[in-house]
Amino acid sequence: MAKAKRGNATSSSKMADNSDKQAEKFSLMLDSSDDEAPEEVTFEDSKTQALRSMKQALDTARREKELLKEKRRKRQELFQEQKKRKLLPADVLEEIDPTEGALNNNTDLFDLSPSCFSLKGNYTVATLEERSMASFQQQAAEDFIQSRLYGPGSCRTTSNELLSLQNKKGWNKSAAVQFVKKDWGKFSRINHGY
Amino acid sequence: MGEFKVHRVRFFDYMPSAIRAMAFNRQSERLAVARADGAVEIFNFSDNYFQEKVIPGQDSRAVEALCWVDQRLFSGGLNGEITEYDLENLKPRYTVAAYGGPIWTISSNNQGTMLALGCEDGTVKMFEVLAEKVQFQRNFDRQKGRIISLSWHPSGTLIAAGMMDMIRVFDAETGHATHRLLVERGVGASKSREVVVWSVAFLSDHTIISGDSAGKVQIWDGVTGTLLRTHLVTKWDVLALSVSQDQSSLVAGTSEGTVIQFQLISSTVGQQDKEWVRTRTFKNHSHDVRALAHTETAVVSGGMDTQLVVRPLLDKVEKNTQESSLRKIVFPHRSLVCCAKKAGLLLFQFPEHLELWRLGESEGHGKPGDSLTVKTKPEKLIQLKRKGEDHICCSALSPCGGWMAYSTVSSVRLYRLQYNNNNIGITKVSRLPKDLCSVHQLCFSSDSSKLFASSSHSSVIVVALNQQECTYLHTLKPKSSSRQPVHLLFASEDGKWLATANTDCEIHIYNLDKLKLHCTVPVYSSYPTAIAIHPLTSNLVVVHADQQIFEYSLEKKEYTEWSRKLQKLGLHSLWLERDTPVTHITFNSRNPAHIILHDMFMFCIIDQSLPLPEAKTLLYNQMTLRSVPEPERIRHSHAFKICKNFQHLLCVRLLEDHSLVVVERPLLDIMSQLPAPVRQKKFAT
Repeated sequence: MAKAKRGNATSSSKMADNSDKQAEKFSLMLDSSDDEAPEEVTFEDSKTQALRSMKQALDTARREKELLKEKRRKRQELFQEQKKRKLLPADVLEEIDPTEGALNNNTDLFDLSPSCFSLKGNYTVATLEERSMASFQQQAAEDFIQSRLYGPGSCRTTSNELLSLQNKKGWNKSAAVQFVKKDWGKFSRINHGY
Repeated sequence: MGEFKVHRVRFFDYMPSAIRAMAFNRQSERLAVARADGAVEIFNFSDNYFQEKVIPGQDSRAVEALCWVDQRLFSGGLNGEITEYDLENLKPRYTVAAYGGPIWTISSNNQGTMLALGCEDGTVKMFEVLAEKVQFQRNFDRQKGRIISLSWHPSGTLIAAGMMDMIRVFDAETGHATHRLLVERGVGASKSREVVVWSVAFLSDHTIISGDSAGKVQIWDGVTGTLLRTHLVTKWDVLALSVSQDQSSLVAGTSEGTVIQFQLISSTVGQQDKEWVRTRTFKNHSHDVRALAHTETAVVSGGMDTQLVVRPLLDKVEKNTQESSLRKIVFPHRSLVCCAKKAGLLLFQFPEHLELWRLGESEGHGKPGDSLTVKTKPEKLIQLKRKGEDHICCSALSPCGGWMAYSTVSSVRLYRLQYNNNNIGITKVSRLPKDLCSVHQLCFSSDSSKLFASSSHSSVIVVALNQQECTYLHTLKPKSSSRQPVHLLFASEDGKWLATANTDCEIHIYNLDKLKLHCTVPVYSSYPTAIAIHPLTSNLVVVHADQQIFEYSLEKKEYTEWSRKLQKLGLHSLWLERDTPVTHITFNSRNPAHIILHDMFMFCIIDQSLPLPEAKTLLYNQMTLRSVPEPERIRHSHAFKICKNFQHLLCVRLLEDHSLVVVERPLLDIMSQLPAPVRQKKFAT
């Protein structure tokens, strides 16, 4: 509370004096338990310091506002630029719009006439095949099942292992399926009879 | 029987698709099975588990759950859509987007009025089942995690939903969540991962049963929301649960491939307090069991090993009978291979493409049982990828090898093949008659001049083929008002007759000279699984799903003498006990008395000139006959000559040069290409 009073520019010096004395007393009371003597700060110094810090604060605020304004202006310019670029050049618009003369200057340039026109030059229109939201979700759901059943921690083995186990436990123990089957393995076999 | 040179073909890399979901309809006794590629198959449990209908899959469908509402079939998929299937035209009737992200589960209430969906975004969505469509009604309170499974309370007032780490109980009228049942995570390493409640079941006494990814089956009290009992059944996941109709038995399917049964019995005899006790463990699968159905008398399971297993429960059926045996359905109940008899070509049908192969040649002669050296290796001539997202429904190759056709649920494509020396040219026939759109079966006439395509209401469209184009000729319609699809087509060798069989068990014969219906064979209660017309006698031979064989004379419009004799004597019991259907019948040009047919485990030559086997005689007598001297042989031989040398048969055909083509697909080959099974440490291995 004392600080605020000190920083108030409209406060009379008398009030300031009083508050200063009060502050000194207060600080004396606070520091009564301290061994060190408090710093001697004159009123003038503290006043200038306070004013300076306030000015600094105002300055930074103003600067920030300026920066923001600048940014906004730049962005607006960019949009205008893009808007201009989006539109066909003015002369083409003139050519295709038969009622150009009647157009008001304030008309939004996006209001093209609804009549069809052919594009000049070799242009074709093609729709891009976008994967819809549904198929992304479907893929995510399938991935969920896959990760729960076959993902880490699912403790799975291969079909070959399963067949090997069956082989080991069966009555007739024969060669591992991986060697017998011609589709597995990287080498080809010459077959008699298919 | 005779000596045949056999082309033993093992280059058809047929891979069945994993079973993802199933639903049993108690009124019609039909089981609907959804596969990973989006195909939906209907099995008739009252007719020897015959695969009645197949709706081909689609690239993006990714079916996660199936549900019957009366006789209507619905599915929910990871593409976020509900699909209703048209079971008469074998295609999706319509799809409705649920707008909740991927749909994980779908279930209807007992009254058949509402469908509840569990979605990725954490909502349980309620759809009203109307006459021609389903309509969104409302959402329940949105939850923070995905809804993986749900189950209606039989009264239709509560729903239990399995999520991540918890089960929520909702009030179906208000949509508010009433209870939260926290599911404990696994021990050790899996403590850091969330536990997924893969399946829940809500019983009428307000007990909730859950199966989760930590391998537990837990019993909860749905009224107070407390845990009653935990059963740790496996180290891996419990992926599926199914409760019997009377709620006294429950089965749980695991990633190990086991199916564990729990029954509601009192622990001491005579006591009134019943509890769920683990009773049986079935290990009929090598890979994860992802779908289960509990019927009155059996447990049906299916999963990543692609086999459908029906395990009758021995306390519900009589022991040691045909009824009580384990059934495994491995291959489709229709032919995926077409053979051009004159050209020695094979057409293999895959869901996404077709392959045309030329058979190899060998030289020299040998004794029975020898392997002959291959002079020219078999060659893949064409691999044709299908256009669009729909999978191939059926395909056909003309006997001369000059035409090839396939159909999907949306279109038919016809191709002309030209052979010049070693090159093969394929051109698509561009303008097809517009009636050829949704076709279930295709068949070329024997002189390759006509194509027959079965269409809606059991009708058959006839188109003429000339040079490069095809023109519409006629639509053959049966007299009956059947709306069921035709699943078998056969055109006779002389070009005069066309036989069709539909899933109403009706067999119609059309006269192709006059282009009208000739006659209808008397309806037999079991599905026809294969039909053929003899080239010389014009007798129709039919084999049914219950393994009965009939022969019908087309000229006289009555059963033949031989057929009556067979029916009077009855078929041998071992023949009737076979559990795979006959998928093709063919004849021997050198011996008109022969009928050649095959199923998955054997092929048989029926010699009509020999006496029929009595009930007590040995049916599989080929090995013994070989060891007996010549004069004795004639005394002991009977009409059914069965050969089991070739196994896991997909196709057996007789070529024009009198050599047999046998297409085998060893189950070991399929198993070696399945995804990873769980690692189990077994003692001493």
